[in-house]
Amino acid sequence: MKIKGSQKRNLGLILSLIICLLSLSGCWGKTEVEELAPLIGVGLDLGKKPGTYLITQQLARPKQGGTTAAEVEDRTFSIEASSAREAYEEVYKISNRIPFMGSLKVIVIGEDAAKAGFNDILDFNQRYSEFRRSMFLVLVKGEAQSFLNLKLRNGQLPAMSIKNHMEQGENLSTFPTVRLGHYLTVLGTKSTAPIIPVVNSIKSGKGGIEYKDGKNGEEIQIQGAGVLSGDRLVDFLTDKETKGYMWLENNVVHRLINTVGIGESGVNFGGQVLKSTTKYKVKDNDGTIELQYQVKASIAVDEVMGLKKQLSEAEWIDLMKVAEESFAKEIEEECLLSLKKQRELGIDFLGIGRHIEQRNSAYWKTVKEQWQEKIVDFPISLDVQVTIHHAGMSSGSAMTN
Amino acid sequence: MVERISPHQFMILGSAVLMGTTFLPIASMVTGVSGRDGWMTVLPGFVVAIPYGLMVLSLLSRYPSKNLLQISEIIFGKWIAKIIGLIYILITGYFGGLLLAQAGDIYERSVMPLTPIGVFYLGGLLLVFYLVNSGIEVFARFSEVIFPGIVIALILNMGLSIPRVEQGELLPILSEGLGPLFGGGVKVAPFAMEYILFIGGLLTFLPTSRKELGQLKTGVWRAVFLVGILNMLVVLMQILIFGPTETIRLTYGLLVLGKMVEISRTVAGVESLFLGVWLGSLVIKISAFFFTVTWGLETVFNLKGLKWNLAISIVFMAIAFGFVRGASLFAEIGFVDNYLILPFTSVWIITLWGVSRWKKGAGVQ
Amino acid sequence: MPSWLKMIKELTIRPKVQQIRKPPEYSFDEDMNKTLSGQTVKEILSKSSDVVFREFFLQGKERIPCMLTAVDGLVDKNQLDFFVLKTLMVDLAGHPEMAQLTIANVVDKTLQSILPGLEFRKVSKMGEAINAILSGDAVIFFGESKEALVFGARGWANSGINEPVAESVIKGPHEGFTETLRINTSMLRRKIKHPSLRLISLKVGDLTNTDLVVAYMDKIASPDIVSEVLRRVSRIKMDGVLGNGYIEEMIEDFPYSPFPQIAYTERPDVLAGKLLEGKVGIILDGTPIVLVVPAILTQFLNVNEDYYQRAMTAILFRFVRYVGAMVAVLAPSVYIAVTTFHQEIIPTDLLMSISAGRQGVPFPALLEALIMTVVLEILQEAGLRLPKPIGQTIGIVGALIMGDAAVKASLVSPLMVIVIGITAVASYAIPYYDLSLAVRLTRFPLMILAGVLGFFGVSVGLYAGLIHLLSLRSFGVPYTSPFAPLRIRALLQDTLVRAPWWAMKRRPQLLDVDEPKSGGKGKG
Repeated sequence: MKIKGSQKRNLGLILSLIICLLSLSGCWGKTEVEELAPLIGVGLDLGKKPGTYLITQQLARPKQGGTTAAEVEDRTFSIEASSAREAYEEVYKISNRIPFMGSLKVIVIGEDAAKAGFNDILDFNQRYSEFRRSMFLVLVKGEAQSFLNLKLRNGQLPAMSIKNHMEQGENLSTFPTVRLGHYLTVLGTKSTAPIIPVVNSIKSGKGGIEYKDGKNGEEIQIQGAGVLSGDRLVDFLTDKETKGYMWLENNVVHRLINTVGIGESGVNFGGQVLKSTTKYKVKDNDGTIELQYQVKASIAVDEVMGLKKQLSEAEWIDLMKVAEESFAKEIEEECLLSLKKQRELGIDFLGIGRHIEQRNSAYWKTVKEQWQEKIVDFPISLDVQVTIHHAGMSSGSAMTN
Repeated sequence: MVERISPHQFMILGSAVLMGTTFLPIASMVTGVSGRDGWMTVLPGFVVAIPYGLMVLSLLSRYPSKNLLQISEIIFGKWIAKIIGLIYILITGYFGGLLLAQAGDIYERSVMPLTPIGVFYLGGLLLVFYLVNSGIEVFARFSEVIFPGIVIALILNMGLSIPRVEQGELLPILSEGLGPLFGGGVKVAPFAMEYILFIGGLLTFLPTSRKELGQLKTGVWRAVFLVGILNMLVVLMQILIFGPTETIRLTYGLLVLGKMVEISRTVAGVESLFLGVWLGSLVIKISAFFFTVTWGLETVFNLKGLKWNLAISIVFMAIAFGFVRGASLFAEIGFVDNYLILPFTSVWIITLWGVSRWKKGAGVQ
Repeated sequence: MPSWLKMIKELTIRPKVQQIRKPPEYSFDEDMNKTLSGQTVKEILSKSSDVVFREFFLQGKERIPCMLTAVDGLVDKNQLDFFVLKTLMVDLAGHPEMAQLTIANVVDKTLQSILPGLEFRKVSKMGEAINAILSGDAVIFFGESKEALVFGARGWANSGINEPVAESVIKGPHEGFTETLRINTSMLRRKIKHPSLRLISLKVGDLTNTDLVVAYMDKIASPDIVSEVLRRVSRIKMDGVLGNGYIEEMIEDFPYSPFPQIAYTERPDVLAGKLLEGKVGIILDGTPIVLVVPAILTQFLNVNEDYYQRAMTAILFRFVRYVGAMVAVLAPSVYIAVTTFHQEIIPTDLLMSISAGRQGVPFPALLEALIMTVVLEILQEAGLRLPKPIGQTIGIVGALIMGDAAVKASLVSPLMVIVIGITAVASYAIPYYDLSLAVRLTRFPLMILAGVLGFFGVSVGLYAGLIHLLSLRSFGVPYTSPFAPLRIRALLQDTLVRAPWWAMKRRPQLLDVDEPKSGGKGKG
């Protein structure tokens, strides 16, 4: 039984080695959970001194003695520093806890910093192992610092609130959800310009929105987006232009949409997009290469306004055709706005270059070098098709007489 | 008691050794050479192992229960075989040490930056040492248990990353032509050769009946295709998610994928769990090279036993401590792969097989 | 070699021949080799107050002095009175057969034509006679004759056949083994009425002379395993064998492994089932526990209830048990690793609540978990041997009052109480007490590794444990089969899942050498 003997020796050896391993090791990298201050949001602004950034860090801290989980203290610091690590050093000095990066959800980029370029300061967030590339990027008009210092009505930290908004994004599909990883991938394509959604606070009474207790805090919303060239902000898109971008990028999952203000017919519709796909076709019209967007959406009509009489079945079918056309027009209008903006800016934030490369890489190689010039008047056509699935629980309208 | 492993164990053990931790650096490697089409080069690169594997097995059927070094001695004579054996020991020993260094690098880089790298070396080596001392049968069983876990973890990791797929990152296919694909294949081929080096030593423990030889051959096919396809999927997934530029930039892309995994918006960043599984595959690979060194020492210098295992461990540790810097480690692994393992194995096996065929044909022996 | 090293070696390395404790100075063997005579037996045994000597005379051709010797309490006195004393002294007094008796032929004559009864036999050695007396038989000595008659009239108080407490089933037979070997073998025989059931008798223990039966099914059990079992059992040399634990430690392959390598059961139906799978049972007199070898790891997570319930539910509950075992091993160490090293896994909200719960707790998570686990172990150990009503109180005081107070006093965090609670409950899902002990033992090193090195430590610990398990063999069968070496059929038939009986067409594979043919477990 030679095996048995060596087995025993093995066991002894392993045990002693384990003991060695244990006694050798101290407590490197070990932090008790209550010593951590989870970092939820980071804001980037330009510092007063040239070459510095004003880095705002929103740390959450469980309330001492708080029995429920959600009670957190807001500890937000803004530090002027020339590197992210320097800023964290300062936070270490002030706070008696270790900022924990693994929970970072949102990076808020202030307008000035965005215009000046922010890739250098962002490098820390994609390099250091605790961060994850699934964090969200948002732009803010004005300063990121003041935005993160906002007091919200529901008591949440602004960064946490943005994260919750973002996660609900696809139910609305009015703004792009941009994660760090996506942003870096888009940068990697070189031809496409990144786009980042814009978050803003709404004061009660402004923009047609009112709410109670305006003094106790504010509300925030995400609307519109900023177009970047590389890492520099060039211009903001309006709400409609962003919606157009969402259609063209095949990003629409569900949308709430209405046709008020479109067309001449007195009847207007409101509805929800159930499903939408956008396809890209590169067409060769006698030598001119053209990109065609084909948007197909199926919509459920939830609202019919301005209907004056009870409709027969045949009339109702006709009305639904009208609805399809109106919705198509509405979508088309949004898309055209977005395309128009793109031509004005001369920046390929719609990724047209990539679409051409994917579908006609031979042609792409010829235009790749002059793409900046070509993009301004590259021929593009648009084809929107809408199908109405149903019109809810009733046909006709309640006020027929 | 003669240790033996079954054809099924040979298949699994081979797959596990061939796989190793290739799935961590492979995407960055092949995409760096072949760009967007890098994923296509993976499978052909691995398939190189099949002809070589079959050559080795045909040598086995001619010289049962002898490893490649002993066969070399029969064919080339004592002194040439000794030189080959020495090269074999040096290469596999050095590479095993480098792999140990990689284990430390992976952990320190991605999850536990503050822990001294030596602890990872020690922990990894401890397992390797225990495994090697328990013998090849236990090693085969270990891979039988761990390898399915690795496959499942890989598939989980990729499957859970599907929501992060970007649109159309894979297209256009073959826009740069076929040229770069060749370069990618050459990058992958050393992985196949590492596998060949291992089964070259493993031959002693393989069954040699006619039926089982057939099973061993299918074992090689299966192992290569299983690992090739899995690795191809890994590369494909990374290109789909990160795009080619980012894929090249990320040292261990799969770990980053692990960090991005979110399970129903609550449990996130499970890469440290996945890393536990990857540690298993690292241990298998390092043990494989540890075994090759012990076999080499036993065949060439007749040195074996606990004492020499300890000596090898110390050498492994020393090599690992020589490469605490990640970047130089990568360069060194690439160098050993491309300029030592690939030429040595390919030339050795082909010559051995060719001469053995020739001798058989000429009626010598 | 220094003496301390020698001592350690003696304590750690099991000798090749399984012998412990030298025979005492008192030369027991000498007595046993003396020539047989009633007088000497009386000399040897007369100091034991429980041995009775009934002397009487037989009137044949000569007047023969006789002595009936038996141990009071072990022997059925009614049988002795009726079959021996009444026959010889009353019924047959003056019978013509009796008249021919002389000292020379008395033994053969009485055996052949005078005494009725199945269990009479002749002995001619001192040792045999004394053993028979002490085992509960009665021995009749005839004058100066060199031979004696043994009457198997054993009859002592039994504890009766009860359902075993540790292995109760809801749907299935409710009988359990007793402390008496013969009753146990008879219960087994009643389950398997086939000539291929072999029961091989052995005696172990130099002084206790304990009966032991090795049971197996011929042609099903691998001959290698059977002969290995017989070899190891017959090598046992010790003074006394008082319980199955003695045998277990003497014959198992790796004595320094925390994992049980020999299964046991108290139920005849389980034993019969295992024998039909080709295993070997070791039945020891004096204990209701029967050892079953070879054992594999997964066997300790299966219970016989699985075979009586419907296959689908059995599969579910097996799965539950496997998960329970994993939780019992890993829960505390994963908690420690996650909260001290890998906080990024925790969802932010949960992170906040853990953090809030740990506010003011003076200990680091590792120490907290260790303390809690030790307290849990103490509670379990304390409750184990107490009478049932007090045991419950321990549970209430320990778990409810102390736990609650500890949380309120900020000595431990609430989540830690939950984790330890889950661990304790999960470990009760492991049906075999031996395995659950092993699990409790492995928990501690894993916790320490987790506290020092996070998931890396846990992985290293788990892999080391795995390698250990993989290197174990129980009587030649790899401990981790059918996972490794992989046996797909065994895996799908009766390991992770329990196939319906009609699907178990072939017997389970234990060893490569003895591939079972057909007509397996499911048949009959």
